[in-house]
Amino acid sequence: MKKSIALLLLSTILLAGCAGGTDEGGGGEGGGSGAVKLKIRFHVDSSSAEGIAYKKVVDKFNVDYASENIKVTTAFVARSAGDSQYEAQLSTDMQEGTLPDIFTFDAPNCAAYAQTGYLYDFTNDLTAAEKDKFITLNSYNGKIYGIPIQESSAGFYYNKNLFAQAGIDVSGITVDNPWTFSEFKTACAKLANIGVTPVDMRMDATKDETATYLLYPFIYAAGGSFVDSTGLVAQGYFNSDASKRGYQFLLDLVKANYTNYGIGSTDFFTGQVGMYLSSGWTIPDLDNKYKTTFPDRNSWGLLPYPKDQIAASANGSWSFGIGNNSRKDKEPVLKLLKYLTNAQSSEAITNATGMIPANKEVNKNYEPNSPEDVLLQQLSKTGINRPATVGYPQFSNVFKAVISDLRNIDNAGLSSFIDNKALQLQNELDKIK
Amino acid sequence: MVLALLLILLVLLAIFAANFVRDLIYRYKHQKSTKKYHKQEVITALLLLLPAVILGFLFVLLPIFFSLGYAFTDFDLLKPNDINFVGFDNFKTLFTELFNKGDIFYALRNTALFVVMVVPLQIGIALLLALFCNNKRRGTTIFKVCFFAPVAISLSVTAFLWLTLLSPNPAGIMNSILGSFGIPPQDFLGNKDTVMLWMVLISAWQGCGYQMLIFLSALGNIRKDLYEAARVDGANVFQRFFTVTVPGLRPTLLYIIITVFIGACRVMIQPMLLTGYVDRSMTLSYYMYTQGFTYRHVGYSCAVALILTIVIGTITLLQRKFLGEKK
Repeated sequence: MKKSIALLLLSTILLAGCAGGTDEGGGGEGGGSGAVKLKIRFHVDSSSAEGIAYKKVVDKFNVDYASENIKVTTAFVARSAGDSQYEAQLSTDMQEGTLPDIFTFDAPNCAAYAQTGYLYDFTNDLTAAEKDKFITLNSYNGKIYGIPIQESSAGFYYNKNLFAQAGIDVSGITVDNPWTFSEFKTACAKLANIGVTPVDMRMDATKDETATYLLYPFIYAAGGSFVDSTGLVAQGYFNSDASKRGYQFLLDLVKANYTNYGIGSTDFFTGQVGMYLSSGWTIPDLDNKYKTTFPDRNSWGLLPYPKDQIAASANGSWSFGIGNNSRKDKEPVLKLLKYLTNAQSSEAITNATGMIPANKEVNKNYEPNSPEDVLLQQLSKTGINRPATVGYPQFSNVFKAVISDLRNIDNAGLSSFIDNKALQLQNELDKIK
Repeated sequence: MVLALLLILLVLLAIFAANFVRDLIYRYKHQKSTKKYHKQEVITALLLLLPAVILGFLFVLLPIFFSLGYAFTDFDLLKPNDINFVGFDNFKTLFTELFNKGDIFYALRNTALFVVMVVPLQIGIALLLALFCNNKRRGTTIFKVCFFAPVAISLSVTAFLWLTLLSPNPAGIMNSILGSFGIPPQDFLGNKDTVMLWMVLISAWQGCGYQMLIFLSALGNIRKDLYEAARVDGANVFQRFFTVTVPGLRPTLLYIIITVFIGACRVMIQPMLLTGYVDRSMTLSYYMYTQGFTYRHVGYSCAVALILTIVIGTITLLQRKFLGEKK
């Protein structure tokens, strides 16, 4: 009997232990010794170049703010299983009241996290000058919830040798004077004539966020959109006539075989494809690898997104947000946020990632019309955010399904296909409480 | 949450204790007639069972109970502190979406197609492989290892392998082979008419090795004298197969049909890794996962899981009833 009682107690203790907090602990007011202890969580692996850069910046903060008795501890939850694992952790933290003081989040999730109370609104904690330092800020319903760590844009990398062979002159194309949908197709036709695949539009990159990130600007460029200002109405937006023009452009490229779903991941780098739609992370590859095809920067270039009704380009990356936890005094947290996003920190992080600094004060001295300069100009002049909706995952999945299924659609069936997808998206958005 | 957990644990322990007491009383009453177990032995047995009971409760029963409860709530992954009872709303949404040809319609259609094709194919191949390996010829072990190897390989690795094999690129392995016969490149996984067929083939290839081993074990248990008798009676190979082998495998076959069927109903990794979340290949489990984790509708996802469990359970019971061992 004594054994049974002992086992019962042991089970209870074990269960109580299981149900306890996370390794990060709570976001309370700090330690009992008067020190303010802050928690920060990053979405990358601690051993990655980006993770190491974050750690260095935080370590430097701890040294610089030692006199103010602020101590920051870091946690890294790499997104190895996609958003869901990271979000499940956030959800658990929310339930237990242990949200980190600062955590990183992907820009399109801003609306969902803000609406559900995960993010702290710091609109009034930034001065106008501080807000002006950044290329973009993460806002929802007019309030600021996040500051981008770095910025990302995309464009068309092109093989100058193949362009010369095809007789394509792109010298006049700039961010201020972009090419049109029509001119883009003409260039594709010329490239097809010399026997290469004209462009890798990344139509096959639908198993993660890549296709959405790279291709959504075409719908905006055609004058279309995805959802209304509430983010909860897709019917009439996702399938508007203007939006359908954008999808038609992509379908035209597929039907004319200017692009396809079977382009190998290195085909552009080995000279089999004329253009390659990608983000800034391709620049280091072109600079350092594939020297046979691209010996130097004279052999490749970067062109902006083509325009139709308007010029539009991709933007948005990961951001820092303040966790809406039980800590009442946000002053130390704001100090940390501003430190993480100041020019020095921004430069240190982007030096590790190769991305564009979100802080405009960072002087990277990009050469005019260099690939980095094209991306930077696009960000400030034509960058359009992905739709700000609490149903962003739903939008992204439906958009990717459209891209993936364009190969099974003919011109006559496109309109009803997009109508059907808009209905599917609307059904999903209607489920959001 | 912790209180609920402890409460359920207490209920479980109460059941455990009640059983323990009942067992003691039973033993006391039948002590003279049986005298098989001593009190100390019973206590030891029950204590040895306790860890398994606790683990089973925590990791099997508890999630099922919670899932059952959540199916009637509006639980949103991002709003864990705002869970409301919504009655049968989730089920209404589910059936409305089904009849309006929403995502769940395609998920159900693809899953049904997958199950209908993969169950007979996988079991058929497994049985053929088992018959092929059921001898003592030299080198049979090598075949057994080869046939079983795909089972031991991770699904993500085999998915990558098949993505390379089935690449729509003209230089892809399968398309290169077809090209040598003058057949134009095919988009095997992109074509809505062929994608499920490939899912079935890949799954059957990966899974049949495991069923082969079970069949092999069952084949070894069939009495050899039955084959001898059948041979003496003039039965040919096929007659011996249908009159001796098949009846001998009947209990094993039922087990394999049920487990392969349940596994097929839960297919998710293959479409997730090979095509992503698209109409042409999404399955019920993938739909459920997407609704729960990607779209954050945990309550709705649990409702789908509940319906799926009921459907699988019902069909399994029917299988047992109609295919079970005749008494």
